[in-house]
Amino acid sequence: MMRSRFLFMTALCVSLGCSKSSDNGSGSAGGSGGDKQYQIAVIPKGTTHEFWKSVHAGAQNAAEELGNVEVLWKGPLQESDRDGQIAVVQDFITKGVDGICLAPLDSQALVPYVEEAKEEGVPVVVFDSGLDDESNIVTYVATKNYNGGALAARRMGELLEGKGQVILMRYTPGSESTTQREEGFLETLRKDFPQIEFLTTDEYGGTTPESSLDKATQLLEKFKDEVDGIFAVCEPNATGVLGALEETELAGKVKFVAFDPNAPLVKGLADGTVHGIVLQDPVTMGYEAVMAMVQHLEGNSLEKRIGTGEYIATPENMNTDEMKTLLNPEQFED
Amino acid sequence: MSGAQPKPTEDTPRLAKHAYVTRLLGTALGPFLALGIVVLFFAVADSMQDDGGAFMTVRNFRTISAQTATVAVAALGMTVIIIAGGIDLSAGTALALCATVLAWSLKEDVAVLVVAGNNVQGVESEIEELQEKLDRVTREIDRKEATDSDTTEAMEERDTLEKGIAAQQEELKRVTKIAASTSRYSPTLALALGIGAGCLCGFVNGFLISYLRVVPFIVTLGTMRLYLGVSKQIASETTVRPDRETQVPEWLGDFLSIRGKALWAGLPIGVWLTLVLALLLAAVLRYTVFGRYVFALGSNETTARLCGINVRWNKIAVYTLAGFFVGIAGLYQFSRLSVGNPTSGIGLELNIIAAVVIGGGSLSGGRGSVLGTLTGAAIMAVITSGCTQLGLKNPVQDIILGIIIVAAVTLDQLRQRRFAD
Repeated sequence: MMRSRFLFMTALCVSLGCSKSSDNGSGSAGGSGGDKQYQIAVIPKGTTHEFWKSVHAGAQNAAEELGNVEVLWKGPLQESDRDGQIAVVQDFITKGVDGICLAPLDSQALVPYVEEAKEEGVPVVVFDSGLDDESNIVTYVATKNYNGGALAARRMGELLEGKGQVILMRYTPGSESTTQREEGFLETLRKDFPQIEFLTTDEYGGTTPESSLDKATQLLEKFKDEVDGIFAVCEPNATGVLGALEETELAGKVKFVAFDPNAPLVKGLADGTVHGIVLQDPVTMGYEAVMAMVQHLEGNSLEKRIGTGEYIATPENMNTDEMKTLLNPEQFED
Repeated sequence: MSGAQPKPTEDTPRLAKHAYVTRLLGTALGPFLALGIVVLFFAVADSMQDDGGAFMTVRNFRTISAQTATVAVAALGMTVIIIAGGIDLSAGTALALCATVLAWSLKEDVAVLVVAGNNVQGVESEIEELQEKLDRVTREIDRKEATDSDTTEAMEERDTLEKGIAAQQEELKRVTKIAASTSRYSPTLALALGIGAGCLCGFVNGFLISYLRVVPFIVTLGTMRLYLGVSKQIASETTVRPDRETQVPEWLGDFLSIRGKALWAGLPIGVWLTLVLALLLAAVLRYTVFGRYVFALGSNETTARLCGINVRWNKIAVYTLAGFFVGIAGLYQFSRLSVGNPTSGIGLELNIIAAVVIGGGSLSGGRGSVLGTLTGAAIMAVITSGCTQLGLKNPVQDIILGIIIVAAVTLDQLRQRRFAD
């Protein structure tokens, strides 16, 4: 018994050691200036994706600029674990942080817990993705996805010089942000370029690059002789479409506009298989979310919706400084 | 021989008693002690923070109890399986399947669906679809008339569509009437279906393990994927979202809520239910024949068979019982999320198994306790919650949880060696 208890204590001491060292790391922000010290929890959808690293960098930039803000960065242990994210929200309410910035994993599941936060006196700023019920949030900081879709439509229109036939491959039913992009693309293209026709607008690529590849290959095979352009509404879809274009030997011949970058897509932009990528600005998103929370805590009123900008990278402009930063956004480092 | 007899009879009870106390210390008190240490550790660390002091509050313990309930209930079932010498890797995805079935049943207004063979939304969307087609055909007729082309075919299509819409309107009237009287039974039926799905999953596991004679690890590795597929099928590969205002009964939404109005004697009702189920299960394991069989199966299956225990059917019973608990856990998950998502159970089986193992359950079978399992689940929840409140990062939290699990398994090994001596 003694021996086993000893082992257990050793294990605990080790964990104590770990916690001490990283406590110093995370508590370094803030300090000088400001009258009141704010502790703001920033809860992403996950912590390992590059996108969130950039959001973290932005949030940290805001904290450093203000000087009196400590950012507590914590997401669910597993990506897309709704219950895990709910637990993090509840624990920060218990801890009594001054405010929570939340990127909800689910537009419905998180609603009652945001309500709970408000009841306990913790304001919530929502960023990146929306909630079904926005009555209890301070503001919603995100890319205006509709505008992103519209940007893609204008680029497509230019590329096709106002006439031709295009495919819109949708993402998945029920995803708010991508539906907005699809609508933005559809409506803008119909309005501004009436001579461009849609070959299909109701096919869903699904949530993975694999399912998108299958669906895109089918569509491109089917419309091989007619298609002039294709738009993919998010990164996994775009990856699938790029693969399908290569498989059907249409890469470079069909104008391809993507949404959100990754390495193969940026490479495609350089060698002419991708003709445009709509970009979001995750660093600004993290920055604006924290700034909005501090504004609210200091008693200023805010717009219900704060846009963080959307841009389009093309083979022509991809080497400008602005696009280079957006294609390769800053990432948080300890 | 006869001369030495009095001595053992005098010694044996004392020895047995000593062994019993050690065993109790090992299986029940051990995890309890660990829980105490973990709570103490976070309480001290939290109070050392500048703005600390929130850890040792009623709200925090209430939150932790609600956060751990889902894993705890599923782990109760897993305890029985592990005592019987088995393992269930499908528990996580089966749990999500139950939540998805429950969500789907609520969304589809299942009672009406059963009685009328259709539901109001179904008919309405049918009408909408037909209306859209009709509009398209009407436009086509206009266009053809303008160019003087043949319109007979399009006219015919328009007539059929109009008839179809009229028929659907009648159907809508019929279904709405039925819905008015039967819709209120949907939540109950949905609940039964959700828990039933859990029992069925457990039964399938038990049946395959018994009759295919494949080790549980492999069988449930397969059914893990199978159940994931079934729930994706039910959810059409997306998230099932019943309307929180109209389709989810209030008590179900409040089941694990820690907001004032939802509490019952200081704790959410779901937590009380967990405790009641735990007591019942402990009684079943301790006092019933079935309970003895479970331990016998896990201690030595061959001996159990030779003693006349029906190994096959008892195994099936063990897995079905565990499936029942998984079904309840699915209900818990749904009440917390108010959506059914097929993938939200992936990886959960590891937490469930870890709860049993930290609680003193032995993966080689024959040992485990209900109290230990609850303690094990609580330890993990305390660590998760404590790490957030200390501002520790995810990597640190993962490392701590890992160390605790390894420590628990090490303890198990040491205990086994001691008993073997």
